[in-house]
Amino acid sequence: MKIYFESLAMHLKGELEYRVNFILSFLSQILVFFTYYFIILALFTKFDHIKGFTLYEVLLCFSIIQFGFSFNEVFARGVDRFDNLIIRGDFDRLLLRPRSIILQVLCSDSDFVKSSRLIQAIIVMIVALVHLHVEWNIWKVITLILMLFSSCVIFFGIFLAAAAYCFFTVQGLEVRNVFTDGGKHMAQYPIGVFQKGFVWFFTFIIPYAFVNYYPLLFFLGRKESILYAFSPLLVILFLIPCVLIFYWGMKRYASVGS
Amino acid sequence: MKAYFTYFKLKFISSLQYRTAAWAGIATQFFFGFVYIMVYIAFYESGGENLPMSLSQVVTYLWLNQALLALVNQFSRDQELFKLIREGGISYELARPKNLYFMWYFKVIGQRLASVLLRFIPLVIVTSLLPYPFHFGGPASFSHFVLFFVSLGFGTLLVTALTVFYPIITLVTMNEKGIVNLVMTLADILSGIVVPIPFFPKFLQVISRVLPFQYISDLPFRLYVGNISVQDGVFGICIQAIWIVIFILLGNILMKRSLKRVVVQGG
Repeated sequence: MKIYFESLAMHLKGELEYRVNFILSFLSQILVFFTYYFIILALFTKFDHIKGFTLYEVLLCFSIIQFGFSFNEVFARGVDRFDNLIIRGDFDRLLLRPRSIILQVLCSDSDFVKSSRLIQAIIVMIVALVHLHVEWNIWKVITLILMLFSSCVIFFGIFLAAAAYCFFTVQGLEVRNVFTDGGKHMAQYPIGVFQKGFVWFFTFIIPYAFVNYYPLLFFLGRKESILYAFSPLLVILFLIPCVLIFYWGMKRYASVGS
Repeated sequence: MKAYFTYFKLKFISSLQYRTAAWAGIATQFFFGFVYIMVYIAFYESGGENLPMSLSQVVTYLWLNQALLALVNQFSRDQELFKLIREGGISYELARPKNLYFMWYFKVIGQRLASVLLRFIPLVIVTSLLPYPFHFGGPASFSHFVLFFVSLGFGTLLVTALTVFYPIITLVTMNEKGIVNLVMTLADILSGIVVPIPFFPKFLQVISRVLPFQYISDLPFRLYVGNISVQDGVFGICIQAIWIVIFILLGNILMKRSLKRVVVQGG
């Protein structure tokens, strides 16, 4: 763990060397992030609700998903841009070292420019919470924390599975975005609002519903059962196949040479 | 003129080489089209009053958006031009006895047309076979269809004139990120690629009417689905023409200015 934080600090220093570039990219990331919730804001000027969810409820859901996604973009950049490691042949070096592979991949890269998204996600969440008039109690605090946690976990799993995909294709093709960005775009809304087949898929295959729908129902006071509050923990199960796929892919990995 | 057209052809043919990338692109755009449409369906099923477009209009609009994305969005830019500037290849370009602005203009338009031609047809065929509510509908009327084609052509000229600005700015700033990225993101929002313009809040609709961006893709797409009347369409096409002339003139002036201060990188 110490190695990880040391390499994080190193990457941060490296990025700050190009200060103007860092600031400008940071600003443009703020705007890019704005386009994400601009869709929601614009549509809610014409519609009152989406299947019973109001603007701030959707924004809460949105911010939780974006939080998890950006968190991984900043802190697990090495997994996100795994194809870089493979293309450059750097992955072979990692294999030689006597440390956990996933830890090394995590240490290989980070992207602090994306922290502008992380900060903005937190701001959107606070704004949404202020407007929602939640009746706070200890269970709701736990639910919120679990939702944020599971959001980080689910995207880590997806990034890992997408990284495993690079073992076979070498280059991370656009198709990969279908699972990361496409899933993220849908999960910005409570998954339950979509049509049946999709809800099923996003509950049992990629369990977004346990991140942003079932716990949200409890959080908003629509469901009483405490089971809903702890449902995000199920997302941890999702990690198991992702890690297995990654190691399975690694076994079949043939270096690109040079 | 012939020399410029050769640039266009050159870019066009070399872009057509990347067919696998195009197939992957089609699959991705198809999926994203679905995702966007699902969101609108959920909203429309929840009901709402005074909606600016019907659901099938929105769906057709979104499919057009996906099918023509490579033509109309800001981010499908020509990496090669930026590389020229960063790595000093610009000196060869300057040695050529032709207007650099139009050389670049035709390169950009060639690349855009090539990448869209590969994607457009399969996407349109597949989506027009889909059942309601995902169905890609036909044009509102024959005259709307004609106007759609004219305004799409003008929109292409307009977006090209706009994207040629980016390498010109880079000539001075030497960094294609930063400011250029900011402008591109704003332009994408205001051209209706993120959300169709009719769904904008009122004040933003007014603002975007004065700006050139909505004349890139929003005008042709809304003409196709019949959200704009024929008269307004003709009026819009006139505005497109004015913007194109302004942008090309401005681009030429800026190009001359920045070439005076150009620094050739590398050696």
